[in-house]
Amino acid sequence: MTVAVASAQVACAHCGLPVPTGRITAQRAFCCAGCEIVHDAIAEHGLERFYDLRNDDPPAPGPAHTTDHAYGELDDPALQRIHVTVTPDGLAHTSFYLEDLRCTACVWLVETAPRCLPGVSELRVDIGRSRADVIWNPASISLSAIARYLDRIGHVPHPYRGLDREMQRRKEDRALLVKIGVAGAALGNIMLLAVALYAGLFGGMSTGDTTLFRWMSMCVAVPGLGFAATPFFVTAIGALRARRLHLDLPLSIGILAGLGWGAANVVRGTGEVYFDSLAMLVFLLLVSRWFVLRHQRRASSAAELLLSLTPRRAHRVEGDALVDVAIEAIVPGVELRVLVGEVIPVDGVVVRGSSAIDAGLLTGESCPIEVRAGDTVHAGTVNVAAPLTVRATAVGETTRLGALVATIDSLSSRKSPIERLVDRLAGRFVAVITTTALVTFVAWSLLVSVSIGAEHAMALLVVTCPCALALATPLAVTVALGRAARQGVLVKGADALERLATPGTLFIDKTGTVTAGKLAVVSWFGDVDAAALAAAVEAGSDHPIARALKAYTSTSRTAHDVREELGRGIAGRVDGRIVAVGAPAWIHDASALARPFAPTVQQWISELALRGETPIVVAVDGVAVAVAGLSDPLREDARAAIDAITGLGWRVELLSGDDARVVRRIGLALGIAPERCNGNVTPEGKLAMVTAQRERGPVVMVGDGVNDAAAMAAATAGIAVSGAAEIAIEAADVYLRSPSITAIAETIKGARATVVTIKRNLRYSLVYNVVAGSLAVAGVIHPLIAAAVMPLSSLTVLASSVRSQAFRRSS
Amino acid sequence: MTVLYLVVPLALVIAAAAVVAFIWAVRSGQLDDVDTPARRILFDEPSRKSD
Repeated sequence: MTVAVASAQVACAHCGLPVPTGRITAQRAFCCAGCEIVHDAIAEHGLERFYDLRNDDPPAPGPAHTTDHAYGELDDPALQRIHVTVTPDGLAHTSFYLEDLRCTACVWLVETAPRCLPGVSELRVDIGRSRADVIWNPASISLSAIARYLDRIGHVPHPYRGLDREMQRRKEDRALLVKIGVAGAALGNIMLLAVALYAGLFGGMSTGDTTLFRWMSMCVAVPGLGFAATPFFVTAIGALRARRLHLDLPLSIGILAGLGWGAANVVRGTGEVYFDSLAMLVFLLLVSRWFVLRHQRRASSAAELLLSLTPRRAHRVEGDALVDVAIEAIVPGVELRVLVGEVIPVDGVVVRGSSAIDAGLLTGESCPIEVRAGDTVHAGTVNVAAPLTVRATAVGETTRLGALVATIDSLSSRKSPIERLVDRLAGRFVAVITTTALVTFVAWSLLVSVSIGAEHAMALLVVTCPCALALATPLAVTVALGRAARQGVLVKGADALERLATPGTLFIDKTGTVTAGKLAVVSWFGDVDAAALAAAVEAGSDHPIARALKAYTSTSRTAHDVREELGRGIAGRVDGRIVAVGAPAWIHDASALARPFAPTVQQWISELALRGETPIVVAVDGVAVAVAGLSDPLREDARAAIDAITGLGWRVELLSGDDARVVRRIGLALGIAPERCNGNVTPEGKLAMVTAQRERGPVVMVGDGVNDAAAMAAATAGIAVSGAAEIAIEAADVYLRSPSITAIAETIKGARATVVTIKRNLRYSLVYNVVAGSLAVAGVIHPLIAAAVMPLSSLTVLASSVRSQAFRRSS
Repeated sequence: MTVLYLVVPLALVIAAAAVVAFIWAVRSGQLDDVDTPARRILFDEPSRKSD
């Protein structure tokens, strides 16, 4: 949906974007057909309240998206078996991913559906997961009718595919929430008791009452915190077993020392207890973990939404008819019809028809490949020219695409964790604290007594429990992830930001990243008027070259007697003249129309070949009058984006499956030295180059295709750009929602700023630990001081994180 | 102040009951989605026939 030249005054009645001049009408004006359809559907059902609600809480404007798809495949029993559950009282239940769920008004609009659709008993939206749960009566309404309704009101539905993953996550989320609840309750009650105890210190309190409060604190703290802190203990033990250091280790030591020593002191009836500080620590840590988890979940559900956008249906040939079936229902041997513009769903052999296949996502090649009956086609490629009938030879995981996906999955799961800043620090921290505690114990034992020695050593372990240290990373990362998501940069894991912060080598795939990813006319030699003739001849064709020529000029002339020879060219009669458009060889030899090319034409063709552009000759009445140069054009902002990345200290290299000359030409335009432009690289070659470069430092792979996905998984960090293949999104650590690669430099800057914030946070918390630790060593620490300083250090870290420059909008 | 020996444990029992209620709420899925209800409260008319 491109918005053409717009006048500033008129805003779209649906989405508020400017309306292109051509679409302005007297009454309501719309920026695109999608908005108009959605607006009409809303009006038809009497749901105009949507616009009032939206004005209260306006989301970022975006044109409405709607399709005229019939959703017949949703009624297929094979698909329903997978996606629909039936309750005992005869109602059916399923979940959809809904596109464009952005604001309160969207929730209202979708949840009002039962009023307009008799038979639907409930529709509940979960906006964080872009998900809607539908309960309906299959006897009175079909699922496809519900889907059509949702589509018409601007929320295109897709079957929810990640149910198992979702259940797993839900279990984890609930377990964490229960622990937060227990820790919170423990914190509140221990605080109340602690206030009484602190008041007693100054006001005097009978020994009996003090003992009561101490015992009560212990009864709450030991079971409550012992349970709530289990995640830390589990990670610490896991890290110890793997002989790695993890920040949860000093945390666990501190918590256990505090609980153990406190309980011992309560039983002994003398000495200090630190239950209130410990409760605060456990609660804060759990809450920060929950926030980080929530942000990560959001980014991954957004990525999953994109995954479910790939077609999950196919047209099966049954006699003369085509039947829409779910992809799961296809077995080898079945014949399928693949229409123009559709993704081929299986590996197979072409039975009838000839066409061109865009294998760009699979191989990275920018030019379509011609196929005819008997040729093999692969799943994941796009049919671009004419309908094909394909007999399936392999489906699902047995396809070439499936095998590639399996490789990538295993690579991703073996991705070695980077040594995180805090964990490196944790190692030294444990060493320093345990040595200091030992020295304190020995020194005080020699100087005074063993019990005083133990008291001060334990106090040291408790007050230096690295609460702020543990909060330093999650807080900084949470702030950064939230801001990044609002700018259309989805970061999947917390450590992806740390991975992007150190400069190294950045490999960038050419097609679809620095270039637009589709053919366009970039140069024109000869008669300018011939362009309109060529466009007229190509009017009926859907070949990529035809589309490029049609986009170059528009014409009102029509062509007759059009004859298309696939992969060679097209000829027809326009205004009584015979016009032929096609490859030079075809125009020259195969056509009886042509005489030998004039020297100038020959010169144009060789110049275009030198530049790496595809020459297309236009001949009128047998004379070649013009030559068009076609290539995949650079994005306008690509040069600036690459310069910005280089400016940040990264070495940028092009890595493409396309012809080496084309890659060098693109590199020249981007200011990348020819020796850093790698062409003709297979997916395996990309993987090898990335792996080799990783020996020398951090490697980032930017790409959009299946052919880049393995390299992305092997790189230190993978970045997928807008419109990337599903497997590429899955393999990447960062997904850019905007089509421009300018966001890469922004992401790197944001990652760097995040690491700066993390380091600052770590400094603050270390300063606190040094101060509190020295007081404990000197034996002058008091539980009241600990209780005051511990939250203070955490608040400092929180303030520092919010102040962070990461992903902050300059405007 | 002997009443403390009764009141403090009683307070803790009530707190424990609250924790149990919270755990029940989490397990029954009431806190699975914390974003949408915050928006749903803005609708001033019933958006669903049944609840």
